[in-house]
Amino acid sequence: MSDSTRVRLPLTPAKTPLPSAKACCHEIPQHTAGVDAAVVALVGAPNTGKSTLFNGLTGSRVTMGNWPGTTVEVSKGVWRTTLQSPSCNCETCTCANDESPLAITLLDLPGAYSLDAHSPDEQLTRGLLQDGPVSERPDLCIVTIDASRMAHGLYLVAQVRELAMRVVVAVTMSDIAAQREMSVDTALLSRALGCPVVETDPRRRTGLVPLAAAVRTALADPVPAPRPVPPTDDALVLDDDRFTWLSEAAERATVAPGNDRLTLSDKVDRWVTAPIAGPVIFLAVMWAVFQITTAVAAPLQNALDGFFSGPVSHAVTALLTLAHLNGTWVEGLLVNGLVAGVGMLLTFVPLMALMFLLLALLEDSGYLARAAVVTDRLMRTMGLPGRAFLPLVVGFGCNVPAISATRILPDARQRLLTVLLVPFTSCSARLTVFVMLGTVFFGTNAGTAVFAMYVASVALVVLVGLLLRRTLWRTMGAEPLIIDLPAYHLPTLRLTASVVWQRLLGSLKTASGIIVVTVCAVWLLQSVPTTGGQSFGQVPVEDSVYGVVARTIAPVFAPAGFDQWQTASALIVGFVAKEAVISSWAQTYATEQPAPGQTGLLGDHIQAAFVQSSGGHPLPAVLAFMVFLLAYTPCVATLAAQRREVGLKWTLFGVAMQLTTAWLLAVAVFQIGRLFW
Amino acid sequence: MTSSTDLASAPLGTSLTLVGIDDAANRRRLATLGLREGATFRLLTRTIGGGRIVLVGGSRIALSRDLVHRLRTRVA
Repeated sequence: MSDSTRVRLPLTPAKTPLPSAKACCHEIPQHTAGVDAAVVALVGAPNTGKSTLFNGLTGSRVTMGNWPGTTVEVSKGVWRTTLQSPSCNCETCTCANDESPLAITLLDLPGAYSLDAHSPDEQLTRGLLQDGPVSERPDLCIVTIDASRMAHGLYLVAQVRELAMRVVVAVTMSDIAAQREMSVDTALLSRALGCPVVETDPRRRTGLVPLAAAVRTALADPVPAPRPVPPTDDALVLDDDRFTWLSEAAERATVAPGNDRLTLSDKVDRWVTAPIAGPVIFLAVMWAVFQITTAVAAPLQNALDGFFSGPVSHAVTALLTLAHLNGTWVEGLLVNGLVAGVGMLLTFVPLMALMFLLLALLEDSGYLARAAVVTDRLMRTMGLPGRAFLPLVVGFGCNVPAISATRILPDARQRLLTVLLVPFTSCSARLTVFVMLGTVFFGTNAGTAVFAMYVASVALVVLVGLLLRRTLWRTMGAEPLIIDLPAYHLPTLRLTASVVWQRLLGSLKTASGIIVVTVCAVWLLQSVPTTGGQSFGQVPVEDSVYGVVARTIAPVFAPAGFDQWQTASALIVGFVAKEAVISSWAQTYATEQPAPGQTGLLGDHIQAAFVQSSGGHPLPAVLAFMVFLLAYTPCVATLAAQRREVGLKWTLFGVAMQLTTAWLLAVAVFQIGRLFW
Repeated sequence: MTSSTDLASAPLGTSLTLVGIDDAANRRRLATLGLREGATFRLLTRTIGGGRIVLVGGSRIALSRDLVHRLRTRVA
């Protein structure tokens, strides 16, 4: 079952109301535990298996990763367990006689090392657990701690235990601890912390039943007394008390002879974070990702393309012929519109799946946290902390979650700057266009051309970041890098597959809606004639409303070498979604008669268009087009995410900045490139 | 008693005791990761840009160059 949803809770403090764990129960439309049922919050430091545990308990899928900041919103799901009740006489349930079903509302809160609110995410966790009224807090809090790094996870336990709240500690990563010859005595730890402690391995789904039992028992008991603290407001005194308490607990309950022993991870880190080898390895890894993506996905993409333009289109046409609808506007809409557009979207599936798979492997292996160390210096020249690298990397998959991921940054101005820079990271939707154009124009060098676009993307982020830093953000300081490096481990198949599936499904869901609407809108605009004597659906594209609008805009791109109206129209729909760029071309060229001497293949059409518009310099023109595509607005979904995070004014500022940058760069690339090619 | 030195000058591979943090803004954050005054840790490696990776309480923490200069240590 998959009964989870993501909610955005208001951030404290300002003038917004305090977040409420109970209030958000009302937002679950169905399968809810109900307002009277228990609400359990999952909290813990980043990388302690919290989101994986949430998935294991709710059966849902939440994006997980082996680096800080993966959970940037509150995920909510229903955890179906059983409640011990000897008197259960329910007729329909399938539980044992002495148990009745219990649906617990489970919240997966953002990763937090403490309740000290260093970032909006930690602020949210603090707001839910500490600042809100007692009646609005969760009924129980599960704190996940990493057995191999026990001491620093216990600080959060110390703070949560100071609240009037039921607490259950879930000890994860025991396998990594065992590799380091460390072990935790859960009974001793439970006695020292004054709350139940359960060992669990959410990655392998073990220990979930004992955890459920501990939670059930704790929920049935009254709220325990908070841990006594010294009667003072002095933060340093309180901290001293906490550290003394947690050090004693850790010392009593853990056996850690290998705690400071060097591991294989340390040996690898010596290379991957080293001054020269680090950046070289980082670039090699990124290059390999894009090379593998383009090389493996291209044949699959071609096969799918052939399938949709061949058998599927023919089948639909045959069905329409049977219904006597061939040659009508219905055929135009279905075959040239929907089948071509949706088919084009589906040909991207191997490409996106592969990209998500490789990013998921890098995340789950622990490498991305090291990449944040390697890029820290670069980030800080823009006034951004090393952590800002994380949302930017996510942006290479999709810009929309990357915008949400900026919430891990503590400073509002750093978040704003990162939100404005994320759209310059080349998402997987843009990759599809780059691969297509790369294959058509650069042949066997397509992989290198695509890689160059990614290098250009990084350069754009840095240069625009520097420019903004020197102008609008002159007074902004840079936070020093403090990052907890997770141990390297082999990614698990189930977890990686789950992340890839979730991201792919999310992208396709977003894209398919946009694609269908865009394809229908394009078809409609192409069907409405602008001259007399032509009927709806029977008009040459250049005489349609669509052709006229594109023709009006096209001259703007003349200095960049791509002022063909078909190219301009692809950029117009690309504003809505980059996935629609190729489908727009497919739609536009499919409705035209092939010119004499042309095969009618899409690649030939596009090549001919660039040769003509560039005055015989198609390569600089197509590079200019790719740079424009890289730099201007990624999609309307990103704009919506930006508006949500930084407001309309800054979103519009971002749009203007990107369009200006894109046009200037495209003109520069073409004008300089034509001197050589 | 050995005199203190900043973390940037400490030799790699040694066990160190943190004797002072000249960074009030990040003191608590470091403390939650186990790096508080009096804590013993091991200096593992130097990273790009002059940062360091330290091993404390089983955790590997990467610190940037500016912070490394603000941590006073002594050989444990």
